[in-house]
Amino acid sequence: MLGFLTARQAGLDDPLRLRRAESTRRVLSLTLNPDREVDRIHGNGINTIDIEVIEGRYMLSGGADGVIVIYDLENYSGNLQYACKAVCTVGRSNRYVHKFSVETVQWYPYDTGMFVSSSFDKTMKVWDTETLKPAEVFEFEGNVYSHHLSPIARKHSLIAVGTKEPKIQLCDLKSGSRIHVLQGHKAEVLSVRWSPRYEHILATASADSKVKVWDVRRASGCLFTLDQHNGDKSKGASEAVNTAHNGRVNGLCFTGDGLYLLTTGTDDRMRLWNSATGENTLVNYGKVSNESRKKLQFTVSRGSSPELVFVPCESSVAAYALHTGELVTMLRGHYNNVDCCEFHPDYQELYSGGKDCNILAWIPALRAADVEEESKSANQAAADQSTVSTAFQDAWSSDED
Amino acid sequence: MNRKRALISDTFKVKKRRNETQKFGAISDGDGPTDIRSTLEYLMTLFPRKLFNDSLPQIVMKHQLYSIHNDKTLVDKELNKLRERGELLMFQLGFDADAFGLVFTADYKAKVLAGEDGRPTRATVERFLEKLSSPCTELSFSKDKILKEFLFTDSEITQLVKSGVLTVRDAGSWWLSIPNSGKFTKYFIQGRKAVLGMVKKSKYSEVLKAELEERRTTSHVKFHMKYHIHDIVGAELVESIPTTSGTLLRHVES
Repeated sequence: MLGFLTARQAGLDDPLRLRRAESTRRVLSLTLNPDREVDRIHGNGINTIDIEVIEGRYMLSGGADGVIVIYDLENYSGNLQYACKAVCTVGRSNRYVHKFSVETVQWYPYDTGMFVSSSFDKTMKVWDTETLKPAEVFEFEGNVYSHHLSPIARKHSLIAVGTKEPKIQLCDLKSGSRIHVLQGHKAEVLSVRWSPRYEHILATASADSKVKVWDVRRASGCLFTLDQHNGDKSKGASEAVNTAHNGRVNGLCFTGDGLYLLTTGTDDRMRLWNSATGENTLVNYGKVSNESRKKLQFTVSRGSSPELVFVPCESSVAAYALHTGELVTMLRGHYNNVDCCEFHPDYQELYSGGKDCNILAWIPALRAADVEEESKSANQAAADQSTVSTAFQDAWSSDED
Repeated sequence: MNRKRALISDTFKVKKRRNETQKFGAISDGDGPTDIRSTLEYLMTLFPRKLFNDSLPQIVMKHQLYSIHNDKTLVDKELNKLRERGELLMFQLGFDADAFGLVFTADYKAKVLAGEDGRPTRATVERFLEKLSSPCTELSFSKDKILKEFLFTDSEITQLVKSGVLTVRDAGSWWLSIPNSGKFTKYFIQGRKAVLGMVKKSKYSEVLKAELEERRTTSHVKFHMKYHIHDIVGAELVESIPTTSGTLLRHVES
């Protein structure tokens, strides 16, 4: 570590190298820390979490009871021990609360004045954070599994919505219209995701085992469908032609730079695809246990050198190296199934939520103290003992007698 | 996996390597380049040839290699290289979408021709095997391909199916297959179920690998115990946990 610092100071190394080495060290040492916890507000399982992009300070969570909570992740108290407080909640007593479970929440990508939530009560609501009232409500014919706003869009403000219907609806925030529809899937759409690299590219995953990539400016249909056999028709059974998985595809995640797309399916596999050509990179992650009937929210680390994919696997979170497929570690701590996880890129922290109503914060482990520091603290403890210990102080006799 | 020490990225590892064994009970991974071919040959020795009266070539499952080598993607890449060189053939065995059988091409050809001795279909099968020697990386063939590229006629295709080299996949396409492999599949599935049952019935559903290898096998388990153990570990039907007394196999609830 000191070598890296001196090299950076002398200009021998690129500044990015030190940053990447330290980020990697931190990402590899994620662990539960008794000093950091998140307030427990939800009474039912947590389905989704989202951390805002601008400051990385506020986190939204949506629960199975329709409750939405906003947490403040910053530690301004000065203590090492910190519980992330809930700033405000859209609770059951709120007039506009969702009737059934909230499946997806997402902050508006440009400021925290607005957030969008969608739920199994067939509505998607655009909330004003200040007043906690919905500014707009979109209604649909089927349960809404997933929605996503493009994090980089400048020319459009579309929300892609995946519902029980096989068509994907694009709702426009500016005008409130919902006439743009993408047809092509044959079963319910479990997950939708905009590319973080190109603002018009959208990927959608459906229960018919297919993943389609669309350019929303194009009228004629999807750009391509991901094929797990890369066009080699001889590999699988003939029904498996053009499918991304041998079961329902329920999780989608782009890597930070948008060059690769990860998909997870109920066939217990996770696949890595080249997002420009749709080619299966054939990285073998082994069995990634997946039983979710709804969408699975998983995430990729950003800024470290072997990027890690954090996937909820039953009651723990599995971390795989992105390009080699090896299982790096399993983060155990939840008492029940984990449904969602989100990575905080600035502090290399991971937040995961699950059916046990807890949000756990996984923080990089602190460095072990050096030998010199330990002897210094031992000296201090010895000095303290000369002052009177509190057990011998007179705390009960009053001054009157 | 429980790790007693925190993970350190390669860039931060100290240069002095202390002589301590951090992983206990793990199979020797070795620091040299992984040799898939020698692992394949080792696994082939576990295949019982006498059971089938020498009529079958030695078959190894692709996922058995995953139990020996840690890096699955590397294993896949090496296998593809061997297939492209024409040394290895891969078959879709049919009972599981992910279970692929591997046979050395030389072995396969020898056994198939030996099985065809004296039969009228021998000539067609020989021709088909010739076509296979140009590196064949496909698992199935469609009717078009056989008629046009391989220049076989319909009746010849029927002969190939009768001799067992092709099996029906769906109307108009066929899987490449190993003749007389039905018995193999049956014993394999039976043995797998029996071994998994042995692990499940143990106390806490876990068994030390060394102990499992020593156990007396029932009449259902016809293959070598090690063959089945590599199979269930590689297919991730049991979790392999390193402990101080060796590797522990724990049944995974799914």
